[in-house]
Amino acid sequence: MSVQLTVEQTAFLQGPLSMNVGAVGRDGWPCVCRAQGVMVARDRQALTVLLSASRGRAVIDALDAGSGITLVVSRPSTHATLQLKASAATRATTGAAQRACSARCVAAFADELKGLGYGAGLEQALAALLPTDDLVALRFAPEIVFDQTPGPDAGRVLAHA
Amino acid sequence: MNLSLESLRPCLDGAIPAVVATSALDGTPNVAYASQVHYVDAEHVALSYQFFSKTRENVLAHPYAQVQVVEPGSFRHFRLKLHYMRTETEGPLFEYMKAQLAGIATQTHMDKVFVLRGADIYRVLDIESVDPHIPPPPPPSDALLSLRRTLDRLGDTTDLSDLADRGLAALTAGFGIRHALLLMLDEAGAALYTLGSLGYPDSGIGAEVKVGEGLIGVAARERIPIRINYRTGDYAYQTAMRATHATEPRIPLPVLANPHSRIAVPLIHGGRLLGVLYAESEHDAFFSHADEDALVVYARHLAALVAQAACEPDDAEPAHDEPATRPTGAPLAVRYFAADHSVFIDNDYLIKGVAGSILWTLLNEHARNGRRDFCNRELRRDPRLPLPDFGDNLETRLILLQRRLAERCPTIALEKTGRGRFRLNIGRPLQLSA
Repeated sequence: MSVQLTVEQTAFLQGPLSMNVGAVGRDGWPCVCRAQGVMVARDRQALTVLLSASRGRAVIDALDAGSGITLVVSRPSTHATLQLKASAATRATTGAAQRACSARCVAAFADELKGLGYGAGLEQALAALLPTDDLVALRFAPEIVFDQTPGPDAGRVLAHA
Repeated sequence: MNLSLESLRPCLDGAIPAVVATSALDGTPNVAYASQVHYVDAEHVALSYQFFSKTRENVLAHPYAQVQVVEPGSFRHFRLKLHYMRTETEGPLFEYMKAQLAGIATQTHMDKVFVLRGADIYRVLDIESVDPHIPPPPPPSDALLSLRRTLDRLGDTTDLSDLADRGLAALTAGFGIRHALLLMLDEAGAALYTLGSLGYPDSGIGAEVKVGEGLIGVAARERIPIRINYRTGDYAYQTAMRATHATEPRIPLPVLANPHSRIAVPLIHGGRLLGVLYAESEHDAFFSHADEDALVVYARHLAALVAQAACEPDDAEPAHDEPATRPTGAPLAVRYFAADHSVFIDNDYLIKGVAGSILWTLLNEHARNGRRDFCNRELRRDPRLPLPDFGDNLETRLILLQRRLAERCPTIALEKTGRGRFRLNIGRPLQLSA
């Protein structure tokens, strides 16, 4: 069973976001990797998150081994943050659409940070840091969605399957 | 672990938020933003504990975490494998993190949300460079070189007054610091008073800070350096310092209204706190970790020189009273309040405490028998002065008095005539009342 994301959550997921994916390895160690793109399925019941294979080796291995997945997305200018979890993720194909999505998400993230005064040369720096040439796509159907915006209400469940 | 935690210190200043991954007992992963990942020592970091969160619930049950930090400038990512050890809810580390978190909170507009409840200490088991192909940012300025330049500029002096001025001025040459204060601990150990200042329209000589009050007071109470890299309303002095009223006269501390970076470093020598060196800047992230290290060394050097200067013997030669020309003009009204030893000149507040008491004693001696020349030794023995048994603060109090007079009432001046000797010069007749 999965939850259906709201229209607002879907719109938020398409905004300029800082994205991180977490998993737990077979040895019990939690691991995390910055994601560089997210695509919401038309029915809003599944997501595809894009990672660099080389940067996210531990997370990808953990997910391949059956770990649950968590995706945390945050908008830097407002700190509005969502956390979406599922008990599993599967590999999906990557192609031109995923590469374009990743490039778009990284550029939007850089643009957002630039507006916050993080300095010039950010677009090039982030593009070099998060290239689109070794993308791995991970598809999952969120089972629980949390409001993770910093504050005493962080962790409030917004939707549960 | 090939990378050292020291080399990652630029990532640990809160400039770019870190994320922390944890696992619930059933293996469900959790990722959350960490407001603060604080460098404790070569093997430990501390994460701020602000709310009882899923992260905290997880590490209390399964004490392993991974933190991803980002290097400002290059955006290189690093991942740290951590083992949770304990939580501290008071003490120097807690106070340092609390002060620094206040800066981070304001930088991120979260100042109403971020309140430190504890410092969660983790041992760092492994560090992974996520982006080894990305070049590091240009190296920061060499703090060791800055320190050396500062010491060269400071030179060698055993005169306390000279030391206070040069000790601050040297910071500009070495570290590019343009605003700084040197404060000394008072006899009771309850407050610090400003002996020297650099780069403010009003010198603020004599301005006091209670131990425990603001960044300077907390650094003194905890005897730790505290560095805040972003603007914060917490730890501000302005409100308290501007609350001047007749019954409790205060000299305003001349700090910047909105400093973006601040550092307070205690002056400690022989296990004793002597004072605090404070510096600030209008720029974000002005002081690096390495600058903090260097300024700690500098403050220890200054403290040693202050202690050495206080031990220098007074001149043996007795001073000769030179005849003074009789002052003319309208009399100055000097009023003394014994309750706090405050002195007012023509109804304007001048000074209080030990320095006020010294001035009142000197003026009375002068009025009684025309004496102008005095020595520190007699003041140390004078039962009218509230001096403690150890007398190394007398010299700093005299410098404070001398400077305050020069600023506010140059008609009365203290002129140094030798080590431990000085002369009272008075330009107008005085009308003393208590």
